[in-house]
Amino acid sequence: MGNKDEQDLRFLQLRFIGKILAGFTHEIKNHLAIVKESAGLMDDMIKMAKSDKIDSRQYLDIIHLIEEQVGKSIEHFTYLNRFAHRMDLPLTKVNVNDCMEELIVLLHRFANQKRISFEKEFQKDPQTINSNPSMIQFLVFNFLEELLTTLDKNSRILIKTEPLNGSVAIRIIPKGNILDTGTEKALCSQEIIDYVLAMLGGTLSKQKDGGEAVITIPVAAS
Amino acid sequence: MKQKDIKVLVVDDEKDFANTLAQRLKMRDLKVGTAYDGEQALSRLKEEEPDVIVLDLKMPGMHGMEVLEEIKKAYPEMQVIILTGHGTDKDEEDAKRLGGFDFIKKPADIDHLEHKIRRAFQEKLERTMSAIAFAEEGEFDTARKILKDEEDKD
Repeated sequence: MGNKDEQDLRFLQLRFIGKILAGFTHEIKNHLAIVKESAGLMDDMIKMAKSDKIDSRQYLDIIHLIEEQVGKSIEHFTYLNRFAHRMDLPLTKVNVNDCMEELIVLLHRFANQKRISFEKEFQKDPQTINSNPSMIQFLVFNFLEELLTTLDKNSRILIKTEPLNGSVAIRIIPKGNILDTGTEKALCSQEIIDYVLAMLGGTLSKQKDGGEAVITIPVAAS
Repeated sequence: MKQKDIKVLVVDDEKDFANTLAQRLKMRDLKVGTAYDGEQALSRLKEEEPDVIVLDLKMPGMHGMEVLEEIKKAYPEMQVIILTGHGTDKDEEDAKRLGGFDFIKKPADIDHLEHKIRRAFQEKLERTMSAIAFAEEGEFDTARKILKDEEDKD
């Protein structure tokens, strides 16, 4: 791979991480906004109470809402933390289902904006593979991003993992109408996709016009 | 119209946020309804026109800016306050260019928001009274421009 392609790959990886962070901060801001308004509402209720008698049920409802938002935030932080640690080592034991789960959760906000939902059909008790988890996520992200821009609203994207000829297969299956977006060029070139696949020792088969993509990753890295 | 009869529509896809904010505004003597996306907001407008809309930007389906544009086309006199956690300076510029009354970033102080809502309503009221005065003098074009907030206020 030439110097320019290397630079493009680094840019696209940073862009990927940036997108994940943007989606995450959007989610957390929303949860915190609800916490703040809820706390403010309790404040209002106490200050504006016409008597000393309080409706404890109303207060409990607000407290439970705050707890729920804090819980959701913690869940998001957990997924972001897991995602961040995927970049610790270039070769490590990987549970592909967990990697895909992180992508689904962290990209949920973007999909939701376009009224597209993710579905998952994960292999039970997947085999642990030796590979580069961050690169696997980067590769899958590019296909998901393409679908998020080309699929019509109210579509679904199914992410399926299954064993295949001694490898792990990740199927990305769009379920919906593909919009005609003209001749917009994908940011991630085929050269970069091929390079990353070669790095992972994997293969790709993809249907034309935004159809199903199947990525296979060998159990042991080459 | 008394200030306490101000009708507000809060539009935000985060239902818990919209409902909690609505409750707080109701405690401040405002009449508040909610909508959870742009399409629902536009549909609500046909049933009952509010005086002021508090509108989020990043929502599923129609983006808040698109909603603002549609509102201003159909209801030029409607006052819209953008309330967003994710707006940029450009968003603020665009919102004001499209006729948004104000642009507030979340988290917003409730008293500040209430003040803005009342200010927006007051401005709308003054514009309406001014338009009526011109219409009574037969200056219908001027009256129309005032209602659309196109008239030079000097």
